This record gives sequence, C-alpha cells and structure tokens, in this order.
Amino acid sequence: MIARTRVVLDAAPSLGSLYAKATGARLRQMLPDAKREALDLPHVEHQLAHVPVDPAKLVAYQRLMGDTVRDTLPSVFVHGLVFPLAMSVMVRDDFPLPLLGMVHLSNQVNHVASIPVDATLGAIAWAESMRGHRAGTAVDVIVEVTDGTRVLWRGVSTYLARGVWLGSKPGSQTEARTPFVAPARTGSWKLAADTGRAYAAVMGDYNPIHLSAFSAKALGLQRAIAHGMYMAGRALAGATPQSTGYDWEIEFATPAFLPSSVDVAFEDKADGMSFSGWGARSGKPHFSGSITVAPRTSASGE
Amino acid sequence: MSDTQQPIRPAVVIGGNRIPFARSNGPYSKASNQDMLTAALDGLVARFGLQGQRLGGVAAGAVLKHSKDFNLVRESVLGTSLSAQTPAYDVQMACATGMEAIGSLANKIKLGQIDSAIGGGVDTTSDAPIAVSEGLRSVLMDLSRARSTSPKLKAISRIRPRDLAPNAPGTGEPRTGLSMGDHQAITTKAWKISREAQDELALASHKNLAAAYERNFFDDLITPFAGVSKDTNLRADSTIEKLASLKPAFGKNLGAEATMTAGNSTPLTDGASAVLLGSEDYAREHDLPMLANFVDFEAAAVDFVHGADGLLMAPAYAVARMLKRNNLTLQDFDFYEIHEAFAGTVLSTLAAWDDPEFCKNKLGLEAPLGAIDRSKLNVNGSSLAAGHPFAATGGRLVATLAKMLHEKGSGRGLISVCAAGGQGVVAILEAR
Amino acid sequence: MADKYLELVNSGLTKKLATSLGLPRPSILRRYAPGEALLPGPVLLLGDSSSAQQLADTLLGWGLDVRRHAVGVNRLGGIVLMLDELEAPAELSAPMLAAGAALRQLAPGGRVVSLSREALDTDAPAVAAVRQGIDGAMRSVGRELRGGATANGIVLGHGVSPSAPSALAALHFFFSGRSAYVDGQFLSVDSADGTLPADFSQPLAGKVAVVTGAARGIGAAIAQTLHRDGATVVVVDVPGAGDALAKVANKVSGTALQVDVTRPDAGAKIIEHAVARHGSLDIVIHNAGITRDKLLANMDARRWDSVIAVNISSQLAMNEAFLAAELPGLRIVSLASTSGIAGNRGQTNYAASKGGVIGMVRASAASFAAAGGGINAVAPGFIETEMTAKIPVATRTVARMLMPSLMQGGLPVDVAEAIGFLASDAAAGINGRTLRVCGQSLVGA
Repeated sequence: MIARTRVVLDAAPSLGSLYAKATGARLRQMLPDAKREALDLPHVEHQLAHVPVDPAKLVAYQRLMGDTVRDTLPSVFVHGLVFPLAMSVMVRDDFPLPLLGMVHLSNQVNHVASIPVDATLGAIAWAESMRGHRAGTAVDVIVEVTDGTRVLWRGVSTYLARGVWLGSKPGSQTEARTPFVAPARTGSWKLAADTGRAYAAVMGDYNPIHLSAFSAKALGLQRAIAHGMYMAGRALAGATPQSTGYDWEIEFATPAFLPSSVDVAFEDKADGMSFSGWGARSGKPHFSGSITVAPRTSASGE
Repeated sequence: MSDTQQPIRPAVVIGGNRIPFARSNGPYSKASNQDMLTAALDGLVARFGLQGQRLGGVAAGAVLKHSKDFNLVRESVLGTSLSAQTPAYDVQMACATGMEAIGSLANKIKLGQIDSAIGGGVDTTSDAPIAVSEGLRSVLMDLSRARSTSPKLKAISRIRPRDLAPNAPGTGEPRTGLSMGDHQAITTKAWKISREAQDELALASHKNLAAAYERNFFDDLITPFAGVSKDTNLRADSTIEKLASLKPAFGKNLGAEATMTAGNSTPLTDGASAVLLGSEDYAREHDLPMLANFVDFEAAAVDFVHGADGLLMAPAYAVARMLKRNNLTLQDFDFYEIHEAFAGTVLSTLAAWDDPEFCKNKLGLEAPLGAIDRSKLNVNGSSLAAGHPFAATGGRLVATLAKMLHEKGSGRGLISVCAAGGQGVVAILEAR
Repeated sequence: MADKYLELVNSGLTKKLATSLGLPRPSILRRYAPGEALLPGPVLLLGDSSSAQQLADTLLGWGLDVRRHAVGVNRLGGIVLMLDELEAPAELSAPMLAAGAALRQLAPGGRVVSLSREALDTDAPAVAAVRQGIDGAMRSVGRELRGGATANGIVLGHGVSPSAPSALAALHFFFSGRSAYVDGQFLSVDSADGTLPADFSQPLAGKVAVVTGAARGIGAAIAQTLHRDGATVVVVDVPGAGDALAKVANKVSGTALQVDVTRPDAGAKIIEHAVARHGSLDIVIHNAGITRDKLLANMDARRWDSVIAVNISSQLAMNEAFLAAELPGLRIVSLASTSGIAGNRGQTNYAASKGGVIGMVRASAASFAAAGGGINAVAPGFIETEMTAKIPVATRTVARMLMPSLMQGGLPVDVAEAIGFLASDAAAGINGRTLRVCGQSLVGA
C-alpha cells in the first residue's frame, strides 16, 4: 500500500464552492479535445484538524428528521459535517472521476461510540478502491472522524461514475435482477416538495438535483429527488442506540422524486434491525439497509 | 409506615353517564370538549344526586385538546353542581384515557385515599385545535421575545406564504406516518382476517346496540345532549349486503387484499362519558347502587414502530399479564367488552389469543389463551355502532359492563381497549 | 317571561292611560315568597258560627290581626265567612252584606274565603238550598273582585269540624300567595285526617316526592316548589328529555330518573329508585302529559291513543303498582285540565284523558285512603308555558284576559303551589277531589 500524502485544510470548504468547481470540471470535460485524466486515484488524504459543530444546526437537523433533540450527534449528521471534506477529495483536479452526475450507491458506517455535541473533532478523508461496476466505475470515499485519541466514526461512501469505464467497457453483463417485492410496510413518509431545500438548509448540501424541479431538469432529471442522506437520516432517527456504538449501512436503488410518498418497513433482527423504503405508488425500491448494534466489549475500559 | 397501612378495599362502580355519541361535524360541531364533559358530568350528578358533594377526585381527559383547555377537567367540574372543592385532573393516554383515568381512581379508592370519584373522558374532532405552522410559530415566538423594532421586523420578514396554512391534528402515528387504520390494515392482513368476518362483526355491533336501545338498556346510562338522544352512528337497518358494498378505506396499498372499510371501522366521533366510583361505605352511606367491583386493570405497549407488533395489539399482552396476576383464564368471563376501533382489531386480538405461536413466542405462554364464546362479546354493541370519541370510550365500556354484570347478578367481565402509540389498557369487573 | 301588557297597564303613565281608556287591567298577582306575610292586612272574620272563636284563635296563632268587624280598618287582608251553621237561604243575607260592605277595604291580593257545609241529597231542602247557594254567591264574589283578590270556599263534609286540620290547611293555602291563581273554587274536606305542618314554610320536610314530566314547564316548576317546601325530589321524564331533566334535578338537588311512564314497569322503576336511593316514596305527582290536538273529524288513532296512553292509562297502571307496593301514606296528585271539565275545541282526546284523571282520582280515593294516603287532581286553566308561548300574541292576549276573572294566564308555579298543598300531610282530609287553578276561567265556570 502506498502511503498517502496528507493535505491539511484550514477550514471545511463550502459545498457551494465545491459544486461550482465540480460544475466547472464537468464543463471542461464537455469541451472538445478535453483530455481524459489518468484513471488513477490520487494518493492523498485531506485532513481537517477541527470539525466545527453548530449546536443550532444539530437541533434543526433533529427536528427535520423528527428525532428527539439530544446533545449527541446522529450518525447521518456526522456524515453531513464531513461531507465537504469528502467532496474536497473528489473535486481535486487529479481525481479521475467527474463529480457531477455521480450516483450515490451506498454507505457503510461504523458509529464507534456516542459523540457528544461539544466533542473536539477532527477528520481525515480519502478515496480508495476504484473498481469496475456493470454501469461504470465505482469508488469508495472514506472519512474517519476522531476526537484526537481514537476514531469515533468511520464512513465509507460508495459512488458510481455512470458510463465511465476503467480501461475498456465490459461486455453487456445481463445479471438476472430479482424483481423487487415490497415487504409489509410499517410506516409511510410523506416527502414534501421542499424536502430537498429543507435538508439543504440544515446540512448545506445545495446540490441542484435536490432543490427544485427546475434545477433538477437542468441536470437531466424529471423532478427534484430526495437526498439519499435525508432518507438515511429518517431511517436512523429513533432507531439507533443512544449510549453505545453501532454499525449501519444503506444501499440506494432508484431515486425518490419530490414530492412523493415513501413506504418503509422496519424489521427487528437479532442484533439490530433492517429497513427498506420504496415508492408508495411506483413500488420501486429506493433504499434498504440495516443497523447493527455493536456487541459490548468488556475491554472498553470504563 | 407499615403499621398505619390500611388493607386494600374494593372499589365499586356505582353508575355511569354519557352523552349520545355523534359523528364528527354533525350535531355537536359547535360544542367544545368542556361543554360535552360538563354535560356528561351534569347528567351523572343528576342521576345520583351528587349536587354540592365534594368528591375525592374527578379524572378525565381528551385526546385532541386546545392549549387553553390545560385544566379541562377542573374547569368542567367548576361548571357542574358538584362542590367547587372537588379536585380534578387531566389524564391523556390516547384512546385508553378513560380507562386509565377510571383505573387510577379505583386504585386510590382501594388504597383508602379517597372514597368517591368520577372518571371519564371526552373528545371532539369537530372542534379540534388547529395549530399554526411550525414556521409561523417560530416567527411568532421570536417576535414575542424581540424587545425592539428591528428584530421584530426581522422576525416578521421570515414569514413565508406557506407558513400561513394552518396545521390540523392528524390521526397518524408520528413515528410511522401511517394512520391508525393503515396500521390496523397491516395487522388485519397479517392475521388473515377476512372482509366477511369484519363485516359480520360490524353488523353484530349495530344489531346489538339497536336491541339494547330497544330494551331501554341505556335509559340510565345516557343523557341527551344538543337535541341528540341516541348515538348518531347507529344504523339499526344495516345489512351484510350494504356493508359488503363499501369500498376499502384503509390499507389501500394492499389493492385487492384491502378489507377495511368505513363500515367495519369506527368513524370520527364526538362525545363524553363519566363513571361514578366509590368505596362500599361511600355507596352505602349515600344509598347508591353498587353495580360491580373494579377488580384490576393493566396497561401494555408494543413496539409497532419497528414492526415487531401491530399498532393496536397491546391489549393482547395486557390481558395475558392481568389474567396471570388474577389467576384466571380467558374463558372465566361472562362478558367481553373489546373496544371495536376496527373490526379487524377485535378479530386480530381474538386470533392472537387463540394462536399457539403468538402465545408462546410473544406472550411466553405454554398454551394459548384460547378462544372465547363469541355470544358473550360486545353483547350491547360497541364502538363500530356507537362510535368512538377517543377518550370517552373507556367510560362507556365500564358503565355498560357494570350495568350488564349487575343485571345478571353474578359473574365477571373483561374490558380491552387499544390505543394510539401501540398502547392498551384492559380491566376486570366483577358483578355485585 | 315578562308579560309586556301586564307590565304596561300597571305602571305610571300607561297605567293612567289604560284606566281612562277602559282597557282591562289585569293585576300583578300576590304570589308566595318564603317569609312574606300570610295576608296583606288584617283578616275580618264574619258569621255567627259556634266555631268562630276557635278559628279566630287559630288565625291569631298564625300571626294575623283578626277583626270581627271592619270599622276603622282602611285596608283588609282577607275576609272569612263562617257559613257552616246556616240553615236557610235567608240566613245568608247578614254575613254576605257585611262582607260586601268590607269589600272596598280589601287590599290588592286580598282574600275572601267561605267555610260552609256540603249540600247533601239527604239534607232538608232549605239546608241544601243555602249550602248550594253559597257556591253561587262565592263564585260571583270572585267575579267582582279586582286587584288580584280572590274568593274561594272550603266545603266541610258531614261531621267535619271547621278546625279539622285540612280545613285549616285549606284556609291557610287560600290566604297565602300560594293560591294566587286559584279563584272561585271550593275545596272539600272529607275527614279530620291530616296534621298541620310544624313550619308552614316547610310543609313537605322529610318527604320523598316523584314528579313525572319534570323536564320542563309545569313539571319543572312542581319539582322546584316541592324542593322549596322541604321535599327530596325525584324528577322523571322520558329519556329523550334527559338533558333538561338533569338540569332540573341539579337545580333542586334531587335525582333524575329517565323512564317513559307508558312502560309497563314504570311504576316499579319509580318505586325502586325512590326507595333504594331516598328511603321511601311519599308523594307522586302525575304530571307527564302530551297534547296531540286535532278536530275529531280529522283525528287519527295514533294521536288519540298516544294521548290516552300517556295522560291517563300510564297513571292508572302506575297507581296499581303503587297500591300493590303498599307504600304507607302515599299522596298522589294528578294533573287534570279545565279542558277535561268544560271541553276544548280540537282536544277531544286530551279532554277525554284529563276528564279521565278526574274520574280516576275520585274512584281511587278509597284505595289510597286505606293505605293512609290520598289522591287528588289539579286542573290548570290557561298557563303560560313554552307551549303557550307559541300561540300568536293577539290570540294569547285575548285568551288570557277575556276568559278568567283574574284577566291573565297563570304561571307554572301557580299550578305547582296547588299541587304542593294537596301533596302535603295537612291535606290528608281532602281526597278524590279536583282543584282548578284557572284564575276563575269561563271555561268550566
């Protein structure tokens, strides 16, 4: 494994400027004679020595998700805090995949321990495991959040650059996809037309595809779609343990257009629970995932 | 402490009163919770000559309540001819409000803390509180906190047109976003309850309630209100064909498998009820009847949010625990009053009690609780016919069952009430 | 409900105007209020009866200023004519003329009461003549009196002394504002039964009374009056009237019993409730009644039968239950109507039921007396109620002014007062009788 070069950022970049940069990169790629960068991930990691936590934003997030306001950080909120750092890796000039139009496939998070709102947090982000996917090229972006002594939160976000191929395009793979059968629902979410704007207002993620039908159309979508992390946040709200660590993961299938109704199912399992969501009307799967409560280790030194 | 403790004494149901239940936005649309509760209390006071008496306590509540009604029950008591020295408090446990109010008062009587009490409940969905939107509320709160013009203007500038739309209270579960009916639809399907079975239960409810009116059963249980003297939801002439012709109203996502209609589900209803409880000494001293002993009650709750149980299945658990504590079997009852939130609720609960797997895995029982004699179920009708003003249903059930037991002169009755939030309260009454 | 006309013609300028125009000027009646004087002035006791002195002593005991002649009295509260020992019509002259001479001094709301004996078929003709003559004379006095004053008589049965408890109680009732709308009527005292109350303001103390049809109107007034006079009241009405009934119950600190009196078990329900909840059943007021008016030519069976069922058949059935229960000293007062005496257009069914009440009480008197109780009826005339308020104003004004001597309709409380009196133990000597409360209406004389 080649050691990564550490780039220390003074402050978290704003997502707005990152999107602008990403859009610029996209435009550059669309120009004739645009030179394809080498299909190699940069061997760097970006570090943010101090991740600021705004308690008011935390309250706004918890209210938005219908969760109880507490002074510990929800896992998806942490994701939102360090998302600009992760983005800063993906908008590097030497990052081989175009950011805009990239599809968010899944997240896997180890929420190692409860994180108080007043914790002093730092974070490191890097990309790895660029690999072929039947629809293009997938890549993992890893972020680790620490309190200076140990990693409290580790997230793997997997993205897909659709139609971008490592080397040659593979032959048409016709995996027999099992048709989705919705389980018995245990709940239903009404996603209002302004859901994307409301999430963006809290977490700063003003990706145009989430904001309005107009801005989404500009990027080739019929209507605005819900933030994947909004749905992850809803799924986790009230379902995660408060005092212990846990792991969770989510996989995204089809996007949820706004406004719409999403039927959801939660099911208890031995060590946590699984969940899924699908279009109440379309019947198309939007996401599925699980929460696993980490077994208590006697060596946790308390 | 121990040497001054009193032995536990019986708490008796002396009688009850309710106003006729009326479908929402009907004859009671201009009546407030306080109006209706006061009327129910007034009727009870008149029936038992309680004018000027200082009772041990009055506990009741409403599920849908205006913020100005923070002291709803006390305010209602002050409007009656009870002594103004009668203390009162509000209880809220969704549709189990009435049961919880009555049960906790019975406990106080049993402990000798009080000698007499009135428990009950009231609800209106016609005069429900309308809240301003969260956005407008936030602005208004900041406005009231602002001390000078500039921050006030700044706050006002935040108002958006959509903030001006009011928020009406929904009957949806906050944590799942599903209405109670849609929740029950999941349970109904899981227990494979047929449309026909639900319609039959609904029809029986109407027929039984109509027959009870016919034999003047409610003469000393109901006092008319606002020109209404009979539950307006009652359809004495309902038929199985009419019920079968209705389109599904809940669980519509199930398509052809949807079985729950407006006919086998309770409608939104307005109404109020009250039950007079006392110690034996109190009843004797005041020459009041003793209809039944309030023997015991039990609350349970289930995790419906994560699908472990159906929203309205808590009574299945509560009954199992209460039977064990009282060393009784499910068959040791002469009457079963199972609140008909939906026909599917009653039938799912009965199916669960009779299901070896549910009883073993969920209730931890060696053998299932078993089936009940259906001819003893809701014999004078229940919520499908009478309607269900959430908090008022407990009082209706206790008064009705107590009277039935007293008429029979012996035996025991079981009450089961499910409630929003995955809760339920059940109770045992014994004739006297 | 304020009667605008009554108010206008009795105050200030409009009073003068009404007088000069010769408009009928009905008076504001002297009605009972606890604590008020029994009569608005001294009482003149006329007649040469051997019981006169004894009666004078009794009246003094009631706190009255008793006079044997009217000389020097500016304002008389009442006149009592002791006519019980008259043997021939000629003997009526002296007391009647003496009374006539004193009439101008009679205060508004004053009372003229005669005491006489019943004219029997076995009497000597002259004796019967004078006794019956008193009837005509007193009714005529009633027609001549103004200012809310009334004339009534007490008719003693054979061998009943003028100082019999019920005679004295009847006299007290006629004096009192309780009889405000009773005019030109006779109360017959048949026996020396009864005991005068220790306190005339609480004649029903300790009694348990049931009032049917008590949710509104006359029934509600009866409940309030009985409660005021000391009774514990059970108010009864059909379940459909339960809300109004509850209000009445709570007003009188009584209990409400929702039961349809036409139910076969109504009597049993009433007994059970009264005895279980209040320890006894001492008084029943059969007030529940309905009207379903229609000219006989247009009458249908539903109208006819429902009126008969509620107004009389139910009472007969309940009375049987009461008699079977052998309730000691049970006193019943039943609501008749002047329509049942004189008839009323459009009310053949109602009049049949109310006439039926009069017959029923007469025929039930002995049975109830056997258990130490009694049964009587009160026949109201035109009473201002919610029901009559619906009659057009002009018709109503004419009805209430032209018909009765008192030139006005009565109030529910006027009926209630008469009922309260007949329900009391002091009236135990009065049995099987019907007392009209009609302001001496032309209807039925």
